[in-house]
Amino acid sequence: MNLKAIGILYWREIRSALRDRTIVTNSILLPIFLYPLIIWLVYTGLTFVSGQNEGLKSRIMLKDFPPMHETLKREFERDESVVLVTSSDPAADVRTGTLDALVEFVPAQSTPATTNNFTTRITYDESRDASSQARLRVAQKISRYRESYLELQAVKLGISRAQYQNFWIDDRKISSGRGVGALMAVMLPLFFIIMLAVGSMHPAIDSTAGERENSTWETMMTVATSRANILVAKYLYVATMAFTAAFLNLFAMIFSMGTILGPLFGSNLSLRIPLQSAPVVLIGALLLALFVAGGMMILASFARTYKEGQAMTSPFYIALIIPVMFLQTPGLEFTTRIALIPVANVMMMIREAFQGIYHWRPIGITLGVETACVILALRVAMFVIQHEDFILGSYNGSFGKFVKERFFR
Amino acid sequence: MNQPVVVHNLRKTFYDEGRGEIKAVDSVNFECREGEIFGLLGANGAGKTTTLRMLSTILAPTSGSATIMGHDVVRSPEGVRKNLGFYSATTALYPRLTTRETIDFFARINQYPADLVKQRVDYLIDRFGLAKYADARVEKLSSGMKQKVSIARTIAHNPSILIFDEPTVGLDVLNALDVQETISDLRAEGKTIIFSTNIMS
Repeated sequence: MNLKAIGILYWREIRSALRDRTIVTNSILLPIFLYPLIIWLVYTGLTFVSGQNEGLKSRIMLKDFPPMHETLKREFERDESVVLVTSSDPAADVRTGTLDALVEFVPAQSTPATTNNFTTRITYDESRDASSQARLRVAQKISRYRESYLELQAVKLGISRAQYQNFWIDDRKISSGRGVGALMAVMLPLFFIIMLAVGSMHPAIDSTAGERENSTWETMMTVATSRANILVAKYLYVATMAFTAAFLNLFAMIFSMGTILGPLFGSNLSLRIPLQSAPVVLIGALLLALFVAGGMMILASFARTYKEGQAMTSPFYIALIIPVMFLQTPGLEFTTRIALIPVANVMMMIREAFQGIYHWRPIGITLGVETACVILALRVAMFVIQHEDFILGSYNGSFGKFVKERFFR
Repeated sequence: MNQPVVVHNLRKTFYDEGRGEIKAVDSVNFECREGEIFGLLGANGAGKTTTLRMLSTILAPTSGSATIMGHDVVRSPEGVRKNLGFYSATTALYPRLTTRETIDFFARINQYPADLVKQRVDYLIDRFGLAKYADARVEKLSSGMKQKVSIARTIAHNPSILIFDEPTVGLDVLNALDVQETISDLRAEGKTIIFSTNIMS
C-alpha cells in the first residue's frame, strides 16, 4: 500500500468530482438544500391550511340556553371566531353543512342535589373540518367557563381549589433534557441513509463506469502504481462523498428543523442532540459510508456507460432503504438481533444515540457486523479488479454475468 | 547486455462464450534496442494491441515472458509502468482537469521526482506549445490540442520506453504528421519506441 500514490489518486478524483455538475448537485447541494426545502414547503403548507381553518367563522346555534349562565352566552357573542345563528331544523342543517354545530343544554335528571345541573350536547359532522373545528371551539370555551364557574362557586362557599377538587393533572415535561424529539429521531436516520446512498451513487459511477465511458480506464491502468492503490483511492473518494453528503444533510436538517419547525411546535419540540452521541454517530456513519461506497463501486464498476451504472446501482439503493423502513415501526427496540442486520443496525444505533440512549452490547455487535461488511466489500472489489477481462469491460456491464462466468462456467 | 525490451514466446488466449478459446497472440519474440523505433505492422485483429497491452501490464500473458528495462511484466508490473509511457488512440484524458493538472498528475503518479515536477510540467507545456491552454480544462480543447496533451502526459515522467499504439488513427494529415515528427524527436532523445500501425502504404 503506497499512501503517497493513494493521496495523488484521491485528490485527482476529488478535484474532478468538484467540477462535475451532477456530483456537486447530488453530493453537496441536494443534501444541504433539498430536504430542508421540502420540510419548509410541507410545514408552510400545513400552517397555511391550518391558518385557513382557524380563519373560518364557526356557525353555531345555542339551544335551551340556561339563563343563569348568561356570562357564557356573552362570551359566545363576543367571540369573533363564532357566529350565532338560529335554525328551524338544526340537525338537518349540520348534515347539509349550513350549520357547523348545534349546542344544546339539556337539564340533568332532577334530584335535590342537581337542580341547576345540565349536560351540553354538541351535534356536529366529523367528516367536515369546519364542523370539527366548531365542536373544538365550543368544547374548549365551555370547559374553560366550567372551570372558572366552579372555582368561583367554591370561593363563595369558602372552599379552596384543593378542597373542591380531590385530584387534578399536573403536567411536567422532562423530554427536553433527553435531547432530540421523537420526530427528529425517526426522520434524521432515514434521511441520513438516503443521503449516504445518493451521495455515493454518482461518484461511484463516475469513478468506474465513467472512466470506461471516457476511455480513461486504460490510461489509469498504465500508471506506475498497483491496482490496489487505485482501488483504495477511488474507494476512499466515494466514501468521502457519501459521508460528506450525509453529514451536510444532517446539519442542514437540524438547522432547518430548528428554524422552521421550532416556532411551529414551540416547546413541544426539542432539537438538541446530545454531544456525547457524537462518537457513536460518527463511527457508525463512517462504517456505513465505507460499506455503501464499496457496494456501489462493485456494482457500478461492471457498467460500460453512465446509464448502465445507474441501472446497476439502483437496486442496491432500494435494498439500502428497505431495512430503514423497519425503523418506522413504533416501539422498536435496538436488540442484539437487529444489531445483526447491516444498515438497519447502524440506523437504530444512531436513532437511539440521538435520544441519548446507549445499548452497549448491540452497539458492539453493530460495529463488528459493519466492519465485517466493509472488509467483505473490499475483498470482493479487490477480487474483481484483479481480473483483466473486467478491466477490458467484459460481462456486458453485469455483475451477475461476472459471477456466472467466474464460478459456474 | 540486456536490451530495453525483450519479448520471448509471448502468448495470449481469450475465452469467448460463443467461439471458445481464441489465440490472440501466439509465440511472439522480439527485442528492441535503445534509441530505436520498433514497428509492429499488421492488419486489424493481428494481435498488435494485445501484445502492447501485455507489455504495458494491462493484460497478463498466458505464457512466455517480457521484460521492460529489466522488469518482468508479470513479476514487477509497477517497475515496468514506471519506465514506460503508453499512448493509444483509445486512451483518453480526464476531461475536467486542466492541461497543467493533467501533466502534473501523470508525472507524480508515475513517480517523477516530486521536486522536479513543476519544472517538468513547464517544460512540456512549452515544448508542445500549450502555454495558452495550460489552465484550460481538457474538455474545452480541440482534438489537435488534446493530442498534444495526451503525448505530453505519456512522457510526463520521462520514461525510457514509449509505446504508441496506432497513434495517428482518426487524425487529419497535419496532426498525424505532427505526431510522427514528435515521435522522431523522442527517438532522437534516446527513447526506445514501439510503434504499431495497420497502415501498410
